[in-house]
Amino acid sequence: MTAAATTVDRRDVTRLPGPVASIFEFLRTMSRKPVGFIGLIGVVFFLFLAYVAPFLVPLQDQVDVASIYAKPSFLHPLGTDFQGRDVVNQIVYGGGDIITTAILAALFSTLIAITFGSIAATLGGRIDALILAITDVALTIPQLILLIVIAAIFRPTSFFALAVILALLQWPALLRQIRAQVLSLKERDFVEAARSLDLGLMHIIFREMLPNMRSYIVIHFIIAMTLAIYAQAAIMFLGLVPLSGRNWAIMLYFAYNQGALFFKDSFFYLMGPIMAIALFQLSLVWLASGLEDVFNPRLRS
Amino acid sequence: MSGPLIELDSVSRTYTTPAGTIKAVDDVSLSLGESETICIVGESGCGKTTTGRMLAGLLRPSSGRLLFEGADVWEKKGKDLARFRRAVQLVHQDPYASLNPTRTIAQTLAPPLAKHKKAHGRAARAAMISLLERVGLTPPADFLLKYPHQLSGGQRQRVSIARALTVDPRVIVADEAVSMVDVSIRISLLDLLHNLATEFHVTTVLITHDLAVARYFGRKGRVAVMYLGRVVELADTESLVSDPAHPYSTALIAAIPEADPTITRTKKRVPLKGAEVPSLLNLPPGCVFHPRCPLSEPGLCDVVVPILGNLPGGRSVACHVALRERQPAAELLGVR
Amino acid sequence: MPVLSVRDLSIDYRTRRGPVHAVRDVTFDLEQGETLAVIGESGSGKTTLAVGLIRLSPRSARVTKGEIRYDDGKRAFDVLSLDPERLRRFRWADCAMVFQAALSAFNPVITIWEQFLDTGRAHGMGDKHKVHDRTRELLDLVHLDPTRVLRAYPHELSGGMRQRVLIAMALLLDPRIIILDEPTTALDILTQRAIIDLLRELRGKLGFATIFISHDLSIAAELADRMLTMYAGRIVERATVDDLFYRPRHPYSVGLMRAVPRVSGALGSVASIPGSPPDLIRLPRGCSYYPRCPFHVDECLQQDPPLLKVDTPEHEAACIRWEAVAAALGSDAEAPVAEKLA
Repeated sequence: MTAAATTVDRRDVTRLPGPVASIFEFLRTMSRKPVGFIGLIGVVFFLFLAYVAPFLVPLQDQVDVASIYAKPSFLHPLGTDFQGRDVVNQIVYGGGDIITTAILAALFSTLIAITFGSIAATLGGRIDALILAITDVALTIPQLILLIVIAAIFRPTSFFALAVILALLQWPALLRQIRAQVLSLKERDFVEAARSLDLGLMHIIFREMLPNMRSYIVIHFIIAMTLAIYAQAAIMFLGLVPLSGRNWAIMLYFAYNQGALFFKDSFFYLMGPIMAIALFQLSLVWLASGLEDVFNPRLRS
Repeated sequence: MSGPLIELDSVSRTYTTPAGTIKAVDDVSLSLGESETICIVGESGCGKTTTGRMLAGLLRPSSGRLLFEGADVWEKKGKDLARFRRAVQLVHQDPYASLNPTRTIAQTLAPPLAKHKKAHGRAARAAMISLLERVGLTPPADFLLKYPHQLSGGQRQRVSIARALTVDPRVIVADEAVSMVDVSIRISLLDLLHNLATEFHVTTVLITHDLAVARYFGRKGRVAVMYLGRVVELADTESLVSDPAHPYSTALIAAIPEADPTITRTKKRVPLKGAEVPSLLNLPPGCVFHPRCPLSEPGLCDVVVPILGNLPGGRSVACHVALRERQPAAELLGVR
Repeated sequence: MPVLSVRDLSIDYRTRRGPVHAVRDVTFDLEQGETLAVIGESGSGKTTLAVGLIRLSPRSARVTKGEIRYDDGKRAFDVLSLDPERLRRFRWADCAMVFQAALSAFNPVITIWEQFLDTGRAHGMGDKHKVHDRTRELLDLVHLDPTRVLRAYPHELSGGMRQRVLIAMALLLDPRIIILDEPTTALDILTQRAIIDLLRELRGKLGFATIFISHDLSIAAELADRMLTMYAGRIVERATVDDLFYRPRHPYSVGLMRAVPRVSGALGSVASIPGSPPDLIRLPRGCSYYPRCPFHVDECLQQDPPLLKVDTPEHEAACIRWEAVAAALGSDAEAPVAEKLA
C-alpha cells in the first residue's frame, strides 16, 4: 500500500455525504430532465408564494363595495371578488392552508401505509391477512362519496382534522404497493445476507428495504398531495366544510355561489384559483416524474 | 476440537406441490471439519443448492438434523441461535443481487461491524480497510464510497466475501459464487476462498455445476456428487477426477467438454441409456440412476436403494455394483 | 471463396457519457462449411459483433465503418447495404442466428408449433403445410419428438430441449451460415455434451458454416476449426484451434488459456488475469491490454498493435512482443498452456 493511500481522506466514511453536497447532487440530476426541473421550479415557486409571500404582502381584507368585480387593472391585476377584495392578494394568502393540509394528509397516509405494509409483509400469516382484508375493504369504498359523508357528519373545524380525514382515505393504495415491494425485497440476496449477519428486523426494514422503496414513497407522497388538494377543492366547493374564507378552494365556492360566472369582469375570480390549483398540481406531477431519476443511483454522475 | 465442526445427519427436504410431493434432498449426510474445503457438485435439480442452504441454516430440513459443534441447530434459541447464524455465512451466486444497490460499500460493511464488533467511526473504517485488503480489493479506501453498480462482478463478489468475514464466520458456503463472473478471474476468486480456509481456518463449501471449478477449488479436499437429491459419491477430488467410483460421476467426467482440443476430441465417452433426467415428482424405484445406468442390474438396482458405502482408498459410493465388485465404476466401464 | 468476408467492421453504442466503441476494426473471413469460434469475455464486443453481422443490433448501435460481404457462389452483396426487404430475406434464409436458450428467447404464450409457423411466415414461407413438414423434418434431425414438442409451451420444455428447438428453427430455411450465441452456457454438463454432439452431427450432414460466440473455451476446443480471441472490441489473435490452444502468441490468449482449469490430466500452473477490462468509452492510447499484460514494454503504449503474422500465415496476433510470448511458452508441443508454464 502506497503512502498516498494512507494520508488521503480521513473522513468518517460511515456517515452519509453532507447536506450541501447532497443538494448540489440533487440539482445536477434534476437539471438533466427538463420536465422534472420545471416541476421543481413550479413547486418551489408555489411554496414560496404560499408560505413566504404572505410576510411580504399585506393582507387586503377590507370590503370595498365600490369595487365589486372590478376589471383587471394595474391595482388589481386579476380583478376583485364579490366584496371588492383583490384577487391576487387572495391567491397569495390562499395557498398556505391548502398546501399544509395536503402535506399533512400525505404524511399521515404514507406513515400508515409504510408501517402497516411492512408489518404485513414481514410478519405474514394472520396479521397479513387481517391487514389485507381491511385494506381491500377500504379500497372498494368510493372515495369522494365517503369523503363527502364524513365531512358532512364530522364537520372538521380545523385543517389538521381535515388532513387526518383525507389521510384515512389514501393509505390503502400505498399500503398494497409497499407490501408488494417488501414481499419481493424480502427474498433478495442482500436481505438474506442481513438476516444471516443477525442485523435485526428494524435494520432490515429501515436500512435495507426502505431505501430501495424511496422512489415509491416519495412519488406516492407527491401524488397523495395532489389527491388531497383535489379532495379539498371538491368538498369546499360543495360547501361542506365551514372553514376560513381565504383559501383557493373556498374561493371557488364563493365564486360559484356569488355568480362570478355571469359577469365578464369576474372571470379571473373564478379562473385564478383554478389556475393556481391546476398549475401547482402540474408542478407536483412533473416534479414526481423528474424524481425517478434522482432515486436511481445508476443514473447519477 | 474433536468431532466435526458442522454436520448434516440424514437430512431430507420435501416440498408439497399441487402436482405431488417432491423430495429435493433425500437422506444426505455430510460431516465437515475445521479448515476443510469441500465441493458439492451436480446438475440442475440434484439438490445441491438446497443442501447448501440447509447447511447454512437458511432452510429447515424436513427430517434429519443439522449439527454445529455437536449440537442440533434447530433446537437452539436466542443468543445460541444468533451465534450459529453468524458462524455460518452464505456467499450468493448473483453479484448483482447480493449487495444493496442503494448503499455504498462502507454502508454495507458498517452495520455488522457496529453491531457485533462494536466498532464505529475510525475503528470501523480501519476494520473495513483491513477486510477489503484481505479480499484483494486494493487500494481499499477507493472502494469504500462506491456503489455496487460501480464495481465489476468479481469485485462485488469480493465485497460479499468481505461482508461475510465481518462476523468471523467458521463456515462459508459459496453457492455457485463464481458462475456469473468472468472466466479469466474465477481462479483468483477461488484462490481467495481457498486461502480463507487454509489461513483463517474457515471451512469452505463450494456448490457448483462446473466440475473444472470443483476440481481446482477442491484439489486438496473432497467432493460430493449429487444426483436427484442423493449423494452418490463422496471422495477426495483427485480420486474422483482420475478414477470416479459411481457410474454417474464416470459419465459426467467423460462428458465434460474440456478446454483442450486433443483431450476433448479423443475423450472416451460413457453413453447413458436415455437422455432425459427423471422428474422429481416421479422418481424411479430403487437406485434413482438405474434407468440410465450402463451397469444397472435388473432385480437389484431397480428394487433396492443403494446406501453410501466405503471403497478401498477412503471413498464412499452409493452403487450396488461398485461396492460388490469393490472397484470404482470407471474401471468397470473401462474408461480409466 | 469465403462465404462471409468482414472488413474493418466497427460498431459504436450511443450512451450518455459518450460513444462506446464496442467493436473496432474487425476483419475476418469465414469459409464455406467451416466453424469459427469467437472467444471473449464481458466487454470484448463479441455479442455486439454477432448481432451486428445480421444487423439485429439495438437502435443505440451504429456501424461506423466496414463491410460484411456475403458470397455463396450464386449471389454476392454487402449485408450493410441491404434495404429492409432484402435484409429480411438474408436473415434466416442465408444466415440464421441461434440465441441462448433462456426462456426469454421464446414467446411464452404461444406453442412451439406457432413459433415455427411465425418464423416461417416472417421469412417468406407462406404455405402452412410446407412449414409443418419442414418443421417435423427438422425436429427429427435434432432428435426431438415432433408430436410432443410442437404442442408444448416453452416453459414445459427443459433447457436442452429448448436449445434444440432453437437450432431446428434456425435451420428452417436451410441457411449457409449459422451464428450461435453462447449455445451451451447455463446448460448442464450432460446436456452440453448432447448439444455439442448434435451440432457436430448437423454440421456433417448439412454442411453449413458456423460462427460460435462464447466465453467458454471448451466449446471452441470441441467444434472449432479456427478461432478468434477478442479483447476490448478488437480481434487480438486469429489462428487454427490447435495453434491457439497450444501455441498462443497474444498475452491475453495466453492468460485466458491459463485461467481455465481442466478436469482431466494435470492442473498445471493455473492463474487468473489480474485487473479488469478497459472502459470502452475512454480507451487508453496504445494497446488496450497493456495494464494487465506481463509482457508489456513502453513501446506498446505508442499505438494499437496491428495483427502481425506469427509462426504460420494462418496465425496472427496483435502484439509486438509475440516472440517473447513464444519464448516464455517454451515448447510447441500439443500440451496446454498451464502445463507449459508450470
